[in-house]
Amino acid sequence: MIPLEIPYYEPSGGECAIFEAAWRNRLPLLIKGPTGCGKTRFVAHMAARLGLSLHTVACHDDLSAADLVGRHLLHDGATVWCDGPLTRAVREGGVCYLDEVVEARKDTTVVLHPLADDRRVLPIERTGELLPAPPSFMLVVSYNPGYQNLLKSLKPSTRQRFLALRFGFPTPAREQAIVMGETGCDAATASQLVKLAGAFRALKEHDLDEVPSTRLLVYAAQLIHGGMDRITACRVALVEALTDDEPTAAALLEVVNASFG
Amino acid sequence: MEEQVGALWHRLITRAAQRGYPEAAVALADIEKTAGLLFRAFGGDPGLRIASAAAIRHGARRHWLARVAGWGEKATLACRDGETLQLPATLALLPQRELNRDLYLWLIALAAAHDQIDPAAPWLQQNQQGARIALSRFPGLQARYLRLVCATLELRIAPERLPPDEAAQEHRLRQALREPGSVVEWPAARRPLQPVALWLYPAPSPAAARSKRPDPGPNQPGGGSPAERDRQRRRAESVDLPERKNSFLLPFRADSLLSWAEFVRVNRPTDDDPEPHAARAADDMDILSVTRDGSSTASRVRFDLDLPSASEDDLPLGPGLKLPEWDYRKQTLLPDYCLVQEMLARRAAPCELPPTLRRDAQRLRRQFEILRPGHSWRRAQPDGEELDLDACVRHAADCAGGGHSYERGLYRQLARQERDLACLLLADLSLSTDAWVNNRGRVIEMIRDSLFLFAEALAVTGDRFALYGFSSRKRQHVRVQRIKGFRERYNAVVRGRINAIKPGYYTRMGAAVRYAAGVLQPQSAARRLLLLLTDGKPNDLDHYEGRYGIEDTRMALLEARRLGLHPFCVTIDQEADDYLPYLFGKDGFVLIRHPEDLPRQLLLLYTRLTRG
Repeated sequence: MIPLEIPYYEPSGGECAIFEAAWRNRLPLLIKGPTGCGKTRFVAHMAARLGLSLHTVACHDDLSAADLVGRHLLHDGATVWCDGPLTRAVREGGVCYLDEVVEARKDTTVVLHPLADDRRVLPIERTGELLPAPPSFMLVVSYNPGYQNLLKSLKPSTRQRFLALRFGFPTPAREQAIVMGETGCDAATASQLVKLAGAFRALKEHDLDEVPSTRLLVYAAQLIHGGMDRITACRVALVEALTDDEPTAAALLEVVNASFG
Repeated sequence: MEEQVGALWHRLITRAAQRGYPEAAVALADIEKTAGLLFRAFGGDPGLRIASAAAIRHGARRHWLARVAGWGEKATLACRDGETLQLPATLALLPQRELNRDLYLWLIALAAAHDQIDPAAPWLQQNQQGARIALSRFPGLQARYLRLVCATLELRIAPERLPPDEAAQEHRLRQALREPGSVVEWPAARRPLQPVALWLYPAPSPAAARSKRPDPGPNQPGGGSPAERDRQRRRAESVDLPERKNSFLLPFRADSLLSWAEFVRVNRPTDDDPEPHAARAADDMDILSVTRDGSSTASRVRFDLDLPSASEDDLPLGPGLKLPEWDYRKQTLLPDYCLVQEMLARRAAPCELPPTLRRDAQRLRRQFEILRPGHSWRRAQPDGEELDLDACVRHAADCAGGGHSYERGLYRQLARQERDLACLLLADLSLSTDAWVNNRGRVIEMIRDSLFLFAEALAVTGDRFALYGFSSRKRQHVRVQRIKGFRERYNAVVRGRINAIKPGYYTRMGAAVRYAAGVLQPQSAARRLLLLLTDGKPNDLDHYEGRYGIEDTRMALLEARRLGLHPFCVTIDQEADDYLPYLFGKDGFVLIRHPEDLPRQLLLLYTRLTRG
């Protein structure tokens, strides 16, 4: 489905041009970056901008190739082939976006490989069909490289089929624009929230394992815009979302207090 | 009688003169964790340590009562140098606890802003600049800052009661506190300003800058000297050592007495005996003279260590294994260059878990039970507890559509999920692990505790694991201690061997890695993890140090990766960032900042690495 309205996205550099170039050259794209930094939104934005339908699959550890490609179903005593999201995207010539692709089971990569290189075909084993992808089809996958995990990493043979884009947290000015654009809150609140996020992000590795994402800032800004007290909003949206350790939470709250008073 | 009256007078007058509110005191220790986090969150340098500050003589005017009582000559003020942020150990200056606590927070915020201010500006400007930065960055502090200003100003001697020159200065100061940045010119006065509790004082001496000179000599593995740090940063001045040889003729007049504060160069380069009263004496002194004589106490030793006699030494297993070594200068692998001997502790009595670890172990066992391979449904099995609906539909559809079905299994089965993982933990047992981490323990004890807890936790998960330790004395004698092989069960005998590990010799890491890779490689797991636990760079008595050792270790790790193993390093060497990325890759190691956290961190890391 192609949304009528293009989702809001604040570009940080050349990523829109890169996406478009990849699409024109029929190359698949890998996006990596921490959680909540705008990967999914970027894909939605670009798909709408290029007028393509978007099929998003959130991968999980029980996702098999059949879930992507499709399966036979029984209907009225007859068999009906039912396309999976990947097959649908190929048929329609849209964008198929596999979110957190490392979570998916290993057998899914088998169906991705022929699609992701110059063959650009999707073999459907069950029906014996070899589905060539139209020029407008694009495969986009994303993952979060932040976790050092031996069991979950992309095989080199898979990742070397993709162009890769690295996403980070936006610059303060851009992040402020995003928070305002998403929630309609005033510039002073947005700026202070972004400064607060900067302070929290400085704590990575020393005190916090995970740092606040832009998404969390948007949540906090939404609450504040809706009339909630700023300190409470930051506590529920930022502090408690980041740590379970009580002394750390108390200290983070102290930073919130210092920011908003 | 005279003494009693004296003591009474002293008590009375001190009480009258003392300023401060002990009942509202806040101790730095109470807020230490918060303080560190806040400092970093406010933008302070994460490398800085927070310490308590020493009292300094300020030389400013005091209240007449304080003068009579001889009290208040020294004040504990916050200051910052290249390595530490020094805050008063307790603050009892203000009448309410919250105010004293806020004063701490304010000093931390001010110190964090310190990096952005002009270092060349005079001290008074620096503090105003810093305050402005802190207040604009964290507007929430404004109200609290004003409260603090009001409260501290009340404690100062009013300008009306000061001589004109000091009064002018005091007026300016008050303005500078109320509106930071508004005062540019400072009138001169005969006496220094009364101490300003809201400001940071300049780093006291050039000692900090000077002592940043790189250590002479080779890198000491893991910061080998006792890491006992005096909590209180004392005022230290770096003094250049007078160049005199073996002189014991005192160059001062005969009537001058040798005091604590004067030093004499005696031909006694290093004194290992701790002076029991030195700490107290140091508190009494205003300035400690520190020199750098080239060798530190417990300085590195590099001499041939004797091996224990054969009957005392650990039990060698087999004739030993000859392994190659990489010579980067020749760019060749020298075949059969090292002899690795697997050893087994000879007199390791089976034992139980040390009582100090029992609680931790119990907690970990509970946590790791979650990791234990659970049961999961296996789909499309020829036999099983339930029908696999998905497979059945597919089967029916295929039958209806094409006449025959590809489906083999129509059932789903509840089966134990295998975590197909084998892990070999290789611990560095070289002599550098003999160093003290803190007052409570040495590196080797941290490693021992880590091994205990690691084994306890992994025994619960059912992951296959082995524990080895290594040390070396030149290439002919690389010792690999077997603590637990893959086939052995974790039991009292293994615990006994963990208990018996002791530091010795050097770190020929390459050979040990090659040996461990050889042990791990035949394991038939899908993922094989080689976990290296170390406290420093590879080094040995011969040419095996510096780049040679690093290049050889790197080659050994490359070989291990080629065998399909995953090497990962856990280190407590604070300088590991310099060379470990080269050996293990950017994501292939972690640096544990506080060695006492090692046992806990190691397990967290293992969970993170292997979480399914």
